[in-house]
Amino acid sequence: MTDTKKGPVSGSKPVAHVTVADRRQFLVGSAGLLGAATLGLGTGLGVRRARAQSRAEISFASAAFFGKETFGDLIKAFNESQDRVLVKNIELPPPSSSTEVYQGLVQQLARRTGTPDVFSQDVIWIAGFASAGWALPLDEYFPADKRSAYFSGTLNACTYDGKLTALPWFMDSGMFYYRKDVLEKHGGKVPENWADMATIAAAAQKAGDVDFGYLWQGKQAEVLVCDAVEIITSNNGAILAPDGKSALINQKAAVDAIQFLHDTINGTKISPQDVLSWDEEPSRQPFTSGKAMFMRNWSYVYPIAQDAKASQVVDKVGVAPLPAFPGGKSSACLGGYQLGVNANSKQREAAIELLTWLSSTETQHRIALNFGLAPTRPALFQDEKIKTEQPFMASLEKVFTGATARPITPEYAKVTLALQSGISKALVSGNVQAEMDALAAQIDQIVG
Amino acid sequence: MTAAATVPGIGRPRLGKALPGTVWALLLLTPAFVSLASVSFYPIVNGLYLSLTNTSLITQENEFSGFSNYVQLWGDAQFWNAWWHTMWFTFASTVLETVIGLGMALILCEAFKGRGLVRAAMLVPWAMPTVVTSKMFGWLFDGQNGIINYILLHAGLIDQNVNWYGSPDTAMTTIIIADVWKTTPFMALLLLTGLQTVPNSLIEAARMDGAKGWITFWYIRLPLLMPTLLIAGLFRALDAFRVFDLVYVLTGGGPADSTETLSTLSYKVLFSTLQFGYGSAVSTAMFVTEGIIALAFCLYLIRQIRRAQ
Repeated sequence: MTDTKKGPVSGSKPVAHVTVADRRQFLVGSAGLLGAATLGLGTGLGVRRARAQSRAEISFASAAFFGKETFGDLIKAFNESQDRVLVKNIELPPPSSSTEVYQGLVQQLARRTGTPDVFSQDVIWIAGFASAGWALPLDEYFPADKRSAYFSGTLNACTYDGKLTALPWFMDSGMFYYRKDVLEKHGGKVPENWADMATIAAAAQKAGDVDFGYLWQGKQAEVLVCDAVEIITSNNGAILAPDGKSALINQKAAVDAIQFLHDTINGTKISPQDVLSWDEEPSRQPFTSGKAMFMRNWSYVYPIAQDAKASQVVDKVGVAPLPAFPGGKSSACLGGYQLGVNANSKQREAAIELLTWLSSTETQHRIALNFGLAPTRPALFQDEKIKTEQPFMASLEKVFTGATARPITPEYAKVTLALQSGISKALVSGNVQAEMDALAAQIDQIVG
Repeated sequence: MTAAATVPGIGRPRLGKALPGTVWALLLLTPAFVSLASVSFYPIVNGLYLSLTNTSLITQENEFSGFSNYVQLWGDAQFWNAWWHTMWFTFASTVLETVIGLGMALILCEAFKGRGLVRAAMLVPWAMPTVVTSKMFGWLFDGQNGIINYILLHAGLIDQNVNWYGSPDTAMTTIIIADVWKTTPFMALLLLTGLQTVPNSLIEAARMDGAKGWITFWYIRLPLLMPTLLIAGLFRALDAFRVFDLVYVLTGGGPADSTETLSTLSYKVLFSTLQFGYGSAVSTAMFVTEGIIALAFCLYLIRQIRRAQ
């Protein structure tokens, strides 16, 4: 379920790893105990209580991202910036172990003890947390006029049942990579609709400029759902009805879109058979070694493509919004982590203060520069410093404008497994309509 | 134990007299029983109980629901799909590993130069972590740059690259090959120990009577090896039945559910959708199937032993 491929793709980490801020608190505590042992019990405990009274103590849990600093450093900066709230950082595994992060969060939230007070969540968990009653509705703290500063697609993903239950933090989305040098030879214009894309890709492949016209991710995994959301939405179709209570994936718009993906392998032959077993990395490798013309992938590919040690296509890669079908609009599957407040938090005001700070223009600016994670505030893409230090990120505003959420339903975990299996079957067998009918029936049963 | 501790030295003989032998034995068994019950028996019973509830971390339900999970399971096409895949995987890998392992054991049983080294080297695949094996086979059978495609293509056996993991026709077979490579040495080792228990005098006697190698194998070694063969097959079948790492790393169950096994399915139901009730029912169904496999093996084994007597 990983969309944001930041941080080392290493093995398991302890679920709740104690970090800097927490370690300091531990030292304060042990100093207190030491005091109790030497100077008598009263003084030691007294110091501790006085401290607790002056600052509201809350906790923040998030998947661990790395960059020039860590989220632990971010929390430390918040703790030092004011003296009302003291935040303890609970570090969860990195986003590459997204299932473990999910389990860790659910276990803590389900206890309803109020810990963690503030947490970050993958966009696809928002509806589930909201419907379980674990996420505090934020409407009264962030009225409509404060929300207009965020991308509307992200806000949409943060809204469940008409209530804002998460606050946008940082984002990623699917995008269209192309080879500038090869495109020059074939018209020089970035295709805006799928048919043009297929024609150019086939021409480039035939001319022997590249081995593969178009690369995407067809492995039976979360990324297949992302690829499907993009192509279906770009044909004005949808996976679920707007109310989230029934499936639309067997309607003509969706079926035609999936048929197009099937045809890239079997009809136009612009994609190799292998995409059916590829997720992000296997599809990225042929592209950065110069074997492909177009590719759909996340933003993490760009720095790799520009790294001369890992890439044969330095300075030859361009990025654009994904193509659309005639009459449709380009769509980019939304990923990234958004913020939430625990509905059982005993320190609501303090939690909101941390939330506001984390999602503020200044902090998002800092996260963009130090972690390379893209802000959810469009205004920041015009920022001069971001433009000079992260020029690629600054160019993504147009891509992110088309960001589309995956189906918003509290049953997403079940829906996505059904989608992965059903779409994979359609792509393999080619009986798109039949498989989509079966899939729709299955989804209706889950969400109905 | 506390009594013995308070009266050290003289306590033991007195206690032995006060307690009859069986009670004393039971007392000594208690620690082992308690530890086994807590780590093995309790989880099984708790799993069984969970499978009779609608427990889900997401919906926060936790009520007794009778056999409704099993009714759902009976009609769940995905479960049966995974069940058949698991059975096929278990059957194919166990048979291949037994046959190839037997061949390896027969070779290693003979005396030749460097036998000790070969015996040790043979175990390397088995000693490797399965995740490493999985990654390695992922590269070997890669559809674009894999060495297997390269060799087959240049040998003229295929006319274009085969997409081993991306096609439902080949994905499961490829995973079985990986498993056979990894676990055959283990089978060979078990069968080698079995072969070494076959008395040399019998083989020598057969040779004196003019029996050739094949006859010796078929009428002396194989029948005497049968119990070992069956027990090794049982071990392997039960182990193969819970295959997880290979599938999880290589295909994630795809394409088109063609490599979904019971372990990966129950992992998805338990830990991705957090339906502990239904997930436990899938696990219980696995447990029952494994029980039946073990029973079948044991019955056959007992019959074999009786017939030998």
